[in-house]
Formats: sequence, structure tokens, C-alpha cells
Amino acid sequence: MADREKILNILFSAIDDFNEIRPGEAPISKSKDTILFGSGGVLDSMGLVTFIVTSEQKIAEETGISITLADERAMSLRNSPFRTVGTLADYIHMLMAEQE
Amino acid sequence: MPVEFLLKRFQEAGTAPAMIWKDRVFHYHELLERIRYWQNRLEEEVAPGTVTVLEGDFSPESVALMLALISRQCVIVPLTAAVESKKKEFAEISEAQVSFVLDARDHAKIQQLAGRGSHHLYQELRSRRHAGLVLFSSGTTGKSKAILHDMEHLLEKYKRRRHDFTTLAFLLFDHIAGVDTLFYCLSNKSCLVTLTDRSPDSVCRAVEKYRVEVLPVSATFLNLLLYSEAYRNYDLSSLKYIAYGSEVMLQSTLERCARLFPGVTILQKYGTTEVGTLRSKSKSSDSLWVKLGGEGFETRVVDGILQIKAHSAMMGYLNAPSPFTEDGWFITGDTVEQKGEYYRIHGRACDMINVGGEKVFPAEVEDFIQTLDNVADVVVYGEKNSIMGNIVCADISLVRQEEPKQALLRIKRACFNNLQPWKVPVKVRIVDGISLNERFKKMRKKICDSSPDSMMQGNLDG
Repeated sequence: MADREKILNILFSAIDDFNEIRPGEAPISKSKDTILFGSGGVLDSMGLVTFIVTSEQKIAEETGISITLADERAMSLRNSPFRTVGTLADYIHMLMAEQE
Repeated sequence: MPVEFLLKRFQEAGTAPAMIWKDRVFHYHELLERIRYWQNRLEEEVAPGTVTVLEGDFSPESVALMLALISRQCVIVPLTAAVESKKKEFAEISEAQVSFVLDARDHAKIQQLAGRGSHHLYQELRSRRHAGLVLFSSGTTGKSKAILHDMEHLLEKYKRRRHDFTTLAFLLFDHIAGVDTLFYCLSNKSCLVTLTDRSPDSVCRAVEKYRVEVLPVSATFLNLLLYSEAYRNYDLSSLKYIAYGSEVMLQSTLERCARLFPGVTILQKYGTTEVGTLRSKSKSSDSLWVKLGGEGFETRVVDGILQIKAHSAMMGYLNAPSPFTEDGWFITGDTVEQKGEYYRIHGRACDMINVGGEKVFPAEVEDFIQTLDNVADVVVYGEKNSIMGNIVCADISLVRQEEPKQALLRIKRACFNNLQPWKVPVKVRIVDGISLNERFKKMRKKICDSSPDSMMQGNLDG
């Protein structure tokens, strides 16, 4: 299974792609503390959707595992998994562990 | 007899060419002879009111048989190779009793079928002593709907003489637009040029060889024509009109066609299998605004959707509830914008993508992507998304080889820079080719079931 470090690297690679397709926008910085969505976040709703899909595709490319990040379960969690790059990495880690 | 006016015109036309089939010319007097031959045979072999499959494509014999079957007050169910996998299902739904299958040499084989042709709409048609026509909707989802027309109502409008133009039979024999092309040509003593395949190259070759004046095609075919560059290799100077419809035309394609064929009038046609042909008039060759209506048709817009009331409307579906409103209007399912007398058709309400409450018509996104470098074709569709309700997705085929990752980044960046945020495709795939259905329409993944089948008309009834 991919460890947390590897997942963070995959997300950083997704961030690279994401920044590249949005020239002129404030780039997301490659740090686990970067706030993605919500108060102080760098993404608006379309940005979030695009980043999630980019991340899903990156995960599938790098690990061959297909996961859905945004679904009812993600919505129902008390702490949003999309708050920071770090919380997203944790959420992906958990989803992948379940798939095994 | 409903075809009497046509037979009279064939007699007048005499030695004028009626059809080009497999590079052979068939004249009106020959067509007339074949109709007489079949009328005599049907009198012996097929009872009036019989539900009859007519399997073939545009050919002298299929046309002669069709006219003879109409005069015998039969119900005709035209089928072509394009619906090969559905032939059995269509014969069953239509309760067909007899079939005529035309082979590659245009020889007909008659066969008895198991259907009983007892549907109550057939009974009504028989009590009117009218012929009928059954066409199937080409919806990409769900079961095909069988649409029954009273042939007498359908033929009414061809009694008025209009222009005589050599026309290409690009649209299919079992589609209302193809049937419309056929009767428009025949009623004006024109020559119908048939095709054995519908590739851009074959189409251009036929236009050059037979000096075709009217080219009725689908919007997708025009894209294919542009990207194949087939038009460069042939003399298309005989063309006077290009009529397009059946799906939403991209402004970029239309403008390119208008530039490439400056002497050609480009017309948008509109109709549905259920109500038949509307007369139409495009504002100009490079305009998507079109006037719709004509004798026997009324139009109105309710909740942004076009509704049509037509004298030539179908009698009903054989296998589905009536789609008409209580006061007899047909809800087309096409979203339109209205400016005075003109409409702009945005596409199926069903194809519309609702992204977080913002409406996105696939055509507007396709229109932009189509203008980007190295894009051969694009189809845009919606996909369910738990955050925004739906997201925009695009499948794109390329003209020449390009590293997929680079192509994706380039295209996504261009979309981000030029489209409103909710219109930017979130998922983009590079694909080998865009799937087209048998009618040269793009196959679009649907979020909802498709409703009525809007289509194009091939004639110049405008």
C-alpha cells in the first residue's frame, strides 16, 4: 500500500498539474498545511472539484487504484477531508487502506 | 389515390433522370414502369392495410415499392443496414406482417412475418383508408419509439411545386429527413443521387461527378468534411445549398464552411420524427438563428423549450404514451432562444449540463474546443458529481499525434483562460475517434433519458 509520504507526493504532483492549467491564478503551494477549501482556503467550488478530479486521476495513474474522493461519505464527515492537503492525504490513506 | 399527383409528375418528367444508383441513371419513365409493375403485383399478393417492412436503401426498386405500397394503403416500415442489430425488434414492435428485402442487385424478396398488424392506431388508419409510415426514434438511450404517420398527411405538402435541384441522398431511407429528401426530390422531378457509403471522400466524389446542387447533411458530417479536407480534391462548384441539422451546429464549423464555400447558401433545417418537417430560413449562411414554421405548423416556447403544433404530426407512438399536450402541442425537448421571428436552438434540454445551478450547453463548450490547435473533434457531456451536481467532461480526438499529457494541459489551460469557470471541462480525455451513430450524429453520454428525437430536413422547403 502507498504510505502517507507517497500519497503526499502524488498530491504534490496533482498540485503541479492543477497550477499549470490555471495560469494567472494564485498557485496552490506544495505543503501539507496548505488550506484548500473553506475559510482561508485557496480554492473556490469549481477549483475544489477540479482539484479533486485531478487528484483522483493522479492516484489512479500512480497506484492503479481507483477511488472516489468526493461522495456522500466525504460530505458526512465531521471534519472535511478537503480542508488541507494534509487532511486530504489522510483521507486518501484511509480509503486505500479500506480497499486492501 | 395519395401518390397520383406524383405519378402525374413522373409522366411529365419522362426521360429526365430520377435517380443515380450505383453509377447508373434511372429515368422517371423507368421509375413509373416499376411502380406500375409493383402495383399489379401487390394487388395479387398483399392486402390493403398490411404492415410491411421495406428493407433496403435508396434505390430505384425501393422507391418504386414504397410508392406502390402507399397506393395499396399499406403501412410501410422502412429499415436500413444502419439498424441491422435492431431489425428483429423493430419488426416485432411494428407487428409487421410482410417484408420486402432488397438485395445488393436491387432484387426484392418477399417474406411473410409473424406480426398481426392489429394495433388500434393501424385500425384507425385502415378505417381512413390511408397508407402509413412507421419510423423509429434514434434515441441513444432507452427503447426506440415507433412513430406512426398517416402517409396522406405527410404527403400533403409535396403537392405544391417547388425548386428542382439535383440532391444527394445522404440522409437515411428509414429516417424522416431521408423520406423528406426523397419526396421533395420526386415531387419536383429532381434527380436523387444515392451513395453506397457516406464518407467525406465518397460524398465529394458524388457531388463532383453528378454536379450535385443540394447537399443535406448532419452537422457532424460537416466537421468530418472539414477535417478530412476531402473538399480540396474535388470540384464542388455545382453546390448551391448545404442543408444541415439533426444536432446543434457549432458556430466555428459554420463560419469555416461559410468561408470555404462562399457561393453556397448554408441553411439550417429543423423538424422532428414526430411532427415532420418545418419550413425554415436561416438568417444568413453563417448564422445559427433560424425562422421556423410554414403552412400547417405553429411554434411556441414554453419554459425555454420549443413546442410545435403540426397538421402532419404523427398519429402516435406504437409503444409509448402520447407525448402531446392536452391542446395538441408536441414538446420537442429542444431548448431554444427567441429573438423576434428567429430561434436559436441550443440543444436537447436533456443534454444540458447543470453545474451547480449554472446551465451549460455542450455545444458552446464544443464550439470553443473545436477552435483549438490540433483538435479534430470533440464531444462534451455531463457526469454526475457529488459537489456540483454535475461536471462538464470532454472527449477529444486529435488531428496529428501529440503527447497526450501535453495535449491535455494545453487544452485545459485554454479552456480555463477562455470559458466561464463552470463551463471548463473538469475531465478531459484524448480518444482515438468520436463515436458517431449510424446517422452521423455524435454519441453523447446522457445524464437523463432522451425524449423526442429531433432531426434535420434535407430539402429546401424554406
